[in-house]
Amino acid sequence: MTNRRSFLQTALAGGAASVFITRDLYAQASGPIVIGHQIELTGGFSSWGYWHDKAAKAAAKLINDGGGIAGRRLDLVTEDSESNPATGARKLRSLVQRNRAAFIQGSVHSGVMLASIPIATELKTVYFSTGEATEATGSRGSRWAFRTGSDTYSLAGAAAPWAFANLGKTWTMIFPDYAWGHSHHQEHKAVIERLGGKVHDPIAVPLDARDLLPYLTRIPQDTEVLFSVFFGAQSVAFYTQAKSMGLERTMKMYSVSGTIEAIAPEDMDGAAEGVTVVENFPRSLAAKDDEFHREHLRLMEVDGVHAREANSRRVYAKSHAWQAWENMFLLKAAVEASGWRTKRDDPALVAALEGMEMPNSLAHPQGAKTLRKQDHSGMVDTYISRVTGNELKPVQKVAKETLATALPPRFDFSTQAL
Amino acid sequence: MSALAVNRGLTALLLALLMVAPWLLAWMESEFWLTVLTEILIWGLFAASANLLFGQVGLLSFGQALYFGFGMYGVAIGIDRFGLGLWPAMGLGVAAAIVMAACAGVVAVRLTWHYFAIITVVFSLIFYFLALRLKPITGGDDGLSFAAPAIMDLGGLRLSLTDDATQYWFVLLIVALAFAVQARLRSSALGRAFAAVREGERKAALLGIDVLRVRWIAFVIAGGLAGLAGALFALYGRYASATHMYYTVSGEAVVWTVLGGAGTLLGPPIGAALLILVREELSGIWEHYPLIVGALTIAVVVFAPKGIAGGWNALLARVTGR
Repeated sequence: MTNRRSFLQTALAGGAASVFITRDLYAQASGPIVIGHQIELTGGFSSWGYWHDKAAKAAAKLINDGGGIAGRRLDLVTEDSESNPATGARKLRSLVQRNRAAFIQGSVHSGVMLASIPIATELKTVYFSTGEATEATGSRGSRWAFRTGSDTYSLAGAAAPWAFANLGKTWTMIFPDYAWGHSHHQEHKAVIERLGGKVHDPIAVPLDARDLLPYLTRIPQDTEVLFSVFFGAQSVAFYTQAKSMGLERTMKMYSVSGTIEAIAPEDMDGAAEGVTVVENFPRSLAAKDDEFHREHLRLMEVDGVHAREANSRRVYAKSHAWQAWENMFLLKAAVEASGWRTKRDDPALVAALEGMEMPNSLAHPQGAKTLRKQDHSGMVDTYISRVTGNELKPVQKVAKETLATALPPRFDFSTQAL
Repeated sequence: MSALAVNRGLTALLLALLMVAPWLLAWMESEFWLTVLTEILIWGLFAASANLLFGQVGLLSFGQALYFGFGMYGVAIGIDRFGLGLWPAMGLGVAAAIVMAACAGVVAVRLTWHYFAIITVVFSLIFYFLALRLKPITGGDDGLSFAAPAIMDLGGLRLSLTDDATQYWFVLLIVALAFAVQARLRSSALGRAFAAVREGERKAALLGIDVLRVRWIAFVIAGGLAGLAGALFALYGRYASATHMYYTVSGEAVVWTVLGGAGTLLGPPIGAALLILVREELSGIWEHYPLIVGALTIAVVVFAPKGIAGGWNALLARVTGR
């Protein structure tokens, strides 16, 4: 970790300092630019957090090797949220107030993210959410909060119509009992019902449940599509227990990428075979085979089929962790475009971010995208894949232009005062 | 100079330092530590609630987080759902904690030692899981976040928690008042009744003390203190979560109390301060820092069984000969 000062060090330094030292600690117009990374290194999301950390560090290295941000070095400071909203909020304050982070690459944990946005707003600090709960760029959003990647609104808008047409009309949704799961349920239910489908009562599973059989037995018999949203160990429990009940023989299994994130289908002995998955960044290189994607995978040290790390059994949490990579480059572009030098220039930087276009490049290997001005949401390509022979094989791509047309902004943060 | 005079002098010095801390830390370019200091004050008050039961009445509670949680949710629900201002929301949180403690206390104070500890854990777990399930009210696993209302808004004079120094002084004022009340309580007839019950309930009963009533009063006061700490913590974090109702949070208060010195007035906040500072320094370096916190706690318990404040008092008594 960089730029940390112990209490005693600061006390001694402060004692020796002059009372005439400038009070505006943020007014450093030169020297390194500190970006804080609020991340899940321990707790339920730690298997994802590893990749967010690796992606951000790799991007920071690439930026610094290329001359930094506007000629200034990028210092990345990382704090562990412990997958806990209260700890995450405390670590956010630490990043901004203690480590003097100018911008925050935020959490993928929806609870941490939603607890952090009011604090980031209060601290007037640009905060990039990485989780999918739509509230982050909706009812709980602010002008300081952005999200480059997908949210539950965009994932439902992009893929649910395809799933409705190709998988079935009668749906049951099973998900963990917290913001991410409920948000997916609300957004998908709205789309399916608008299309004329039927959605059964949702099945919300406590986060600490490992035996899912009591919940799986509540799935109605006439279900055609079982939509699942889980993460980590609960995902493995869901797929293996659903398979043991033979659910895939009577209904189509449909998931968002989070459910199979950082998990290789081959490690589940075929339990995920046939599952259709909505991906934000396809695990398979074949789904988006270009030089930027290839180079990104090389730098992240993973293969192009299973996205498995070269020197371990870990699987790249690719559909979410790409944001930790791309947001570093996005901030670089926004700093350089707005002429940002200190925190005082934040209004110009926020204005530059609003509506910013990102071309398909090594900086943005997920693909070209737009950070929409009104709702601060990324309009990105979405991919639908299916587990076939233990590999995620591409089935369909929904272009960002289609998404932008289908999903009008529901909030306009750009009119808020900074 | 007597030990009492030394301790009073040190307490006055500590209070003076706490009052000027915002200016001192600003001068030291360490404003971040002001938010840590604010957190220490709140957790110190929470530890005091465990200390009141354990150190003063002899009841080891692992359920104080329940009342802390009621204080938190009272504030969060009051502000986010009912649109209350800061003071009514705080009142709601503290009142909810006191009512809950009054109800739970009727059952709990009939038990002692491990039976008492177990029943407090059970109450805590029941409401923890209930808070997780009642998502429309409590926000479930996500908790409730909110924007803090102003402390005071009188025309041109607006005091807000968004200013770190104002927030700190607001918390310091309330925590200092709570400790002043506790100090007064210790020297009152009720405080002496607490001590009598702690030293031997049969002897206390023979002296005409209604043991169950005294325990219940202590239980309710401790619940109120925990609720007040929870209300302050919700305002400080702009957030309320069921995770703070879990019995392990109560366990932290017990650890702070034992480490700082059970039965002393300022021992528990000293214990809280020490472990929070250790956490702040280590958590960013090594994610498994609780192992070090645990080792430190074991070392203090082994080598200073009366805690830091207890050890200090013993040393002072030896030096002053009293």
